[in-house]
Amino acid sequence: MSELLQIGAQRPKAPEPDSLELRFSPTAVEELEALKTHYPDLKSCVLPTLWIAQREYGGHLSPEAIAEVAHRLSRSYAEVEGVATFYSMYNTAHKPGRHLIEVCTCLSCHMCGAYRIVDHLEEKLGIKLGETTPDGVFSIHEVECLDACDRAPVLQVGDQYVGPVTPETVDELLERLRSNPDSTVVQLADAVVKVHLRDGKA
Amino acid sequence: MVKLTINGIELEAPQGELIVETVKRLGLEIPVFCYHPRMKAVGMCRMCLVETGFKQPDGSVRMMPKPQAGCTLPASEGLVVVTDSEAIHRDRKGVLEFLLINHPLDCPICDRGGECPLQNNTMAYGPSTTRFIEMKRHLPKAFPLSQYVTLDLERCIQCGRCVRFTEEISGDSDLAFRFRGAEMQPSTFQLTDFESRFSGNVIEICPVGALTSAKYRFRARPWDLETSPGVCTECSNGCNVWFDHRAGKQVRINGRANDGVNEEWTCDKGKFGHDWYNSTSRLTKPLVRRGDQFVPASWSEAYEEILAAFADKGGKVAGLTGPRVSNEGLFLFKRLFSEAFGSDNVDHRWRSGPVPTGPVPRPLPIASLESKRHILVFGTHLAEDLPIVHLRVRKAWSQSGATVDVAYSAANEVERFAKASLRCRPGAEAALAKCLLGEAVWSGKATVSDAVRAELAGFNADSAEEKSGVSGATVRAAAARLGEGAVVLTSDRLLDAPEPPSAWKSLKALAEATGSEFVCYPTGTNAAGAELLGLVPDHGLSTWQILEGCKDGKIEALWLVEADPSSTHDAALETVPFLVYQGTLENEAMAYASVVLPMAAPAEQDGTWTNCEGRVQRFRQAIAPPGEAKPAWRVFAECLLRARPSTPFFNPGEVMEEIARVHPVFAPAQYSLLPEEGALVARESLVGEPAGGGG
Ligand code: SF4
Ligand code: FES
Ligand code: FES
Repeated sequence: MSELLQIGAQRPKAPEPDSLELRFSPTAVEELEALKTHYPDLKSCVLPTLWIAQREYGGHLSPEAIAEVAHRLSRSYAEVEGVATFYSMYNTAHKPGRHLIEVCTCLSCHMCGAYRIVDHLEEKLGIKLGETTPDGVFSIHEVECLDACDRAPVLQVGDQYVGPVTPETVDELLERLRSNPDSTVVQLADAVVKVHLRDGKA
Repeated sequence: MVKLTINGIELEAPQGELIVETVKRLGLEIPVFCYHPRMKAVGMCRMCLVETGFKQPDGSVRMMPKPQAGCTLPASEGLVVVTDSEAIHRDRKGVLEFLLINHPLDCPICDRGGECPLQNNTMAYGPSTTRFIEMKRHLPKAFPLSQYVTLDLERCIQCGRCVRFTEEISGDSDLAFRFRGAEMQPSTFQLTDFESRFSGNVIEICPVGALTSAKYRFRARPWDLETSPGVCTECSNGCNVWFDHRAGKQVRINGRANDGVNEEWTCDKGKFGHDWYNSTSRLTKPLVRRGDQFVPASWSEAYEEILAAFADKGGKVAGLTGPRVSNEGLFLFKRLFSEAFGSDNVDHRWRSGPVPTGPVPRPLPIASLESKRHILVFGTHLAEDLPIVHLRVRKAWSQSGATVDVAYSAANEVERFAKASLRCRPGAEAALAKCLLGEAVWSGKATVSDAVRAELAGFNADSAEEKSGVSGATVRAAAARLGEGAVVLTSDRLLDAPEPPSAWKSLKALAEATGSEFVCYPTGTNAAGAELLGLVPDHGLSTWQILEGCKDGKIEALWLVEADPSSTHDAALETVPFLVYQGTLENEAMAYASVVLPMAAPAEQDGTWTNCEGRVQRFRQAIAPPGEAKPAWRVFAECLLRARPSTPFFNPGEVMEEIARVHPVFAPAQYSLLPEEGALVARESLVGEPAGGGG
């Protein structure tokens, strides 16, 4: 019986390296080559390469993106997936909207009304924490201390901190973001890649 | 050596030895989950906590305020360790309480129940009640990770053994931890198929029932199983295994430790490949042909028919053996032919075409590969042909810093860690070997005789690209790495390449001329034994000649032992007037047989096997053969006795004594002398060289 189960079960195969659709742009490939020189081995290069992938794949580290990173760094898919799913700033679970609003709900922010901000955002956007608006513009996440307690309650959007916020300033922020056609999620990834690229140089 | 104190006992230990190991030597136990002696210690589970302190100059002991993990704590001078205090017992309770928070405790329906480290440690050290009333984590159960491995994520205690195995030992890194915290789970990429040659090992090292065997699932409770120490007979590595059986049926295979051979690992071919023991097509009765039909016969009827056809027929009869016959069987087979039948036409080698005589392995012990500086794997798909040798080569690279090059005509796992891959065109092995040798000679690294030198004209790094498809720079670098401390390793798969003698000769010359060692491991289960016991025709016909002889009437009676050449030589079997097929399973060759003899499988008899490195290992009978099946050696002994009055052999031990008398290299393999880990029989006798084509 158990054997039948096992044999009959659908067991998808990991993609063959040749069948991968590589999507890194020429710039990304160049950046990757530069990054490789910063580290003693390719394993160390996984984190920055994931950032490149997050940018190249529109802010979402899909399984395909992870496979491409693994392929380009000669690591196993599983290993890279393990790394990517460990860190919360890599968007592996689902594709975020154009703008990802991360609300700090840790102690200081909590005491300064972070959940009122969360409630306000949820009501305003009609979605719950961890979800994306149907038009794909906004996602909201809850995060731990952003190390900006002096500005509590604080939000992070792309590479910017916004705070202290009130329901009114949040509304203004939403308007501003809605009219911004560029993805702040991708911008953040790009900014991180740039930081990494600078690092290796004196 | 450093002096330290464990539980008040003063002792010496090598500096840096992990305290878990030191304590083990004392005969005490530190409970562990994540620690595994063959992998790096990671200190993930905290089960092994011990109290520590240091001896002060004035002789007093200053204890540390907090416990430390014994699996990551190195022995050092003056260290004081306490493994058995009230505090430690409280700590262990605490750790177990944490581990059990999310564990489903579904032991009654868990295959691991009864042999589960988590169960055992909980029993010995755990809290007997739970304070946990919250919801447990819920995750997929019985997920089919591969055709062999079933994953139950709820049971996982996140020790990382399985993940580390694929990273450190098998090297495919197919498993990794996804997510984090309580949700962390070992998994393949997106839970895709776990395709590894060594996946079965993770089942054994998982300290809980999170990874279980799909084949063994729900088939037995461990306490209902009987087990016998055995040797895997699926390939020539001769892995030591536990052969688990129940009510006379094979149930599962687990790895058994032998540092010289498989350490404690098995490959999936071996671990899951023993199903045929219980097959419904096992032969159970001697059969004789009456017209178009087989009728069951007694053994003596069968012997009479065989002797009538074979006895004293000299060169007109022949015998071919397959790989899965014990040393004792092989020896008596040869003796039966030479003494009772007067024929030297016996062979054990299987090649599709004319065979060069050989391969003659020079058995570099598998474990010695670890101490080599450089290994060139040539002309063999190592992980496929010799999985356990593959693990050793990888270990030489990962743990002793050896460099490895691989020359093969297709993608293969050695490439993952090889310094260079010399991926040649299929069939270009001989040319590549020559180019390497040429390069070594022209660069002044090696010297060869003038005759060889002349043969090498035009073969060098620059011509390698055109001759074999490997770039000149790669060949140059690979040749440069050979020399003192290097090994050129191949298997008899090389002989399947076109021009086998030439590839073999150039490769051997390459090794010798550069001062490297040369080893050619056979791949047939007991091929090394057959080679040592002379199951090659000295004067008679070789496999290919025998089969050709059957076709043109030169051979009148053929005896096949666990060998089936029907796929390539159907006509030969059809034409030969009298065919004996002796085997464990029904097969194609049977269709043409005059007599069919049921044969006992390896675990159904006592006997010894010689693995690829020339290690003779004992396999004790675990279960009874089905029906009237008999061990091959007994059949040959009985035939011999019927044909010639002689001293009978009553058991395989006596046969081995006779073997040792005739072939002194086997002296250490006599049962009374043979150590549990087997004996490496003398190496010289295995050194040789294949002659030209025997066709
Ligand atoms: S599946 Fe088993 S071996 Fe792997 S991490 Fe979990 S408990 Fe450890
Ligand atoms: S608690 Fe929100 S920034 Fe520290
Ligand atoms: S055995 Fe030491 S921490 Fe797991």
